[in-house]
Amino acid sequence: MSLRLEILLVFLGMCAVTFGSRYAGLMLRAPLPPFWLRFLRFVPISVFAALIIPAIPGDQGEGVMRVLTSLLAAFVAWRTRVLWLTVLVGFGTFWILKFFGIHA
Amino acid sequence: MFPIYLGVIPFAVAYAVTARAAGLSVLETCLMSVLVFAGASQFSAAGAFASGAAGLTIVFTTFLLNVRHLLYGLSLGREIKLSNSERVVSAYFLTDEAYGVVMASNERSFAFLLGCELSLFVSWNVFTLVGALAGSIIAEPTKLGVDFIFPLSFTALIVPLLKSRNDVIVAGMSGVMALIFSKILPGGFSIFATGVIGSLLGAWLTRSEPPTQPNLEDMKREVA
Repeated sequence: MSLRLEILLVFLGMCAVTFGSRYAGLMLRAPLPPFWLRFLRFVPISVFAALIIPAIPGDQGEGVMRVLTSLLAAFVAWRTRVLWLTVLVGFGTFWILKFFGIHA
Repeated sequence: MFPIYLGVIPFAVAYAVTARAAGLSVLETCLMSVLVFAGASQFSAAGAFASGAAGLTIVFTTFLLNVRHLLYGLSLGREIKLSNSERVVSAYFLTDEAYGVVMASNERSFAFLLGCELSLFVSWNVFTLVGALAGSIIAEPTKLGVDFIFPLSFTALIVPLLKSRNDVIVAGMSGVMALIFSKILPGGFSIFATGVIGSLLGAWLTRSEPPTQPNLEDMKREVA
């Protein structure tokens, strides 16, 4: 059990900006301009894509395998829209390939 | 309402395992769930800690990931009359799921809103602890490919959001931008830069469309 000060400071910063976003919406009386409403709608799409793509290959030399299983997971997400099933199928397939000694 | 918890549980566990693999202690992993209570940004922060990103870029990325809550607040503020203190409390615990449940119901009261929010808060934190303890058992998380859970989880989150051609264009361009930026910008900052440019692109591409409310079906499904 340890708590580092520099980590705690990052958490408090994250807490502040998150609470700020949540509170600002409940506070604001004037509506946002349409351009910024549309901007906000695209934020999750853009940020999620930015989080996903560079994280797929990994650093264990299994890039090809991970790209292919990610595509399979995306297909499962598209058909079922169930988070745990998407992760299970993607991770499970990745593991089965690993188990059979495939390393690509 | 039950399926929402089903979505929260694996996401909380996956976050906690990722955070432990990134070198955060059990206490730190749980504390982040209490203080931030926003799945996507906690997940991405865990990844950023693993890559040794600067604290400030983690905070900036968190801001960008969570600024969408502004939309929910704007919408809820019109639906429910809240006192000042009620506003502070319901803002702290506001999530995609709570917003989705309230809007999908006929109840419009502070009590109902807070009930939805707190039940999600409790399950999020309980399963963070479960995942954090499970993460302690895993000896060599990187060798096992635990870091792969992160892009897989976000794939499950982004796919339902891609409903129009413009959505797909923004996602594709953002993915390419992030790949390039991650090579030339300090860790974590590339996500923030991509998010700003990608969202500007989206707002510009849809300049002829009328503004829309956040989609209720998405809110109920999304676990972020």
